[in-house]
Amino acid sequence: MTVHDARGPVDDVDVAILDDLARIHDLLDPVPPGLAERSLFAMTLAALETEVMELAEVVTDPAGVRSAEPVPARTVTFTSAATTVMITFQASGPSVVRLDGWVAPVGEGVDVELHSTDGVVPGRADEDGRFAFPQVAHGPVSLVVRPVGGAAMSTPVVEV
Amino acid sequence: MTRLAEDAPQTGEEPTETLGDRGARAVLAYRDGRTEPLGEFVREATPLLWHTVRSQGVPYDLADDVVQGVWVALVRHVETIQEPHAVLKWILVAAKRAAWEATRKHRGEQSRTTALPDDRDDGAPRELPDREPGPEAEVLTSERDRILWAAVAELAPRCQTLLRLVARADRPDYRAIAEAIGMPVGSIGSTRGRCLAKLRTILDHNGDDLWGQV
Repeated sequence: MTVHDARGPVDDVDVAILDDLARIHDLLDPVPPGLAERSLFAMTLAALETEVMELAEVVTDPAGVRSAEPVPARTVTFTSAATTVMITFQASGPSVVRLDGWVAPVGEGVDVELHSTDGVVPGRADEDGRFAFPQVAHGPVSLVVRPVGGAAMSTPVVEV
Repeated sequence: MTRLAEDAPQTGEEPTETLGDRGARAVLAYRDGRTEPLGEFVREATPLLWHTVRSQGVPYDLADDVVQGVWVALVRHVETIQEPHAVLKWILVAAKRAAWEATRKHRGEQSRTTALPDDRDDGAPRELPDREPGPEAEVLTSERDRILWAAVAELAPRCQTLLRLVARADRPDYRAIAEAIGMPVGSIGSTRGRCLAKLRTILDHNGDDLWGQV
């Protein structure tokens, strides 16, 4: 029997075994699709240096789960020490989602930006704190909330 | 010596750029305001981070967050990383620590939620199902893969982790990976290392010569 010396150099058989191992691990535990893109998006948001709000609650509407709708309607709530943001997603087309939101308190006014891997869409809450983005493509998004005269905050990334 | 020693590549002077080198270049470029190389590094190194985090036993959905968190931490610390050439080791160490922390918190949440069902002040907002793929027997269809996988299962857990990670790295980076996951230097490097030597011996012992003719 051949003795395989731990101090010996890595040879072609070792390389072939390692290649097989990498392939097996990719079969048994594949990297989730889009993980690198989600990471890059999160890095872009981190570079904004905003306070990140906490995900407080996710409610999925069972009535919204219909075969015609790829994404069930759901409501997500985020909080920080001073601010609450609630958003609802609803499918509005084959590959687009309508996002309705509400932010409190409104104070002197609140700008709300929708950040996605496609870029930034500016928006503003009305006097009741309501805002909407009618056409949001599937993928990771985050809202950046900028109260007038206050520090900006961002929500964690959610998949729409 | 080994069967193919004369064919083995020269150690210590690989002319090609490794993942670790590209990471260093990416960090330096990012500091100069060029973000594209870091984007490429993220795309290339994310599988390595995924397998690092998963090999620490982090559930599927949580591991997704942990990997993103490592990259966010890199951006936050990019100005203070003193050794850009050690960035590969930096993200691996960060991934391992974040994986431990996530596992500890996840277990804490679970036991706390079980003990105090009403205590939901900062409770886990989402389910964390462990979406493991099907049993290995279904996924590994070739005889060769099954034999290799059975041999790997005979190794110590730390060796299994090490080989899982070096399997997707460039050879000159093996040492950084071994150090990052806390294996003694010499576990693997420009030399084969104990883990791979042990695996070869097991494969021989099991009477299979499927890799010998490569």
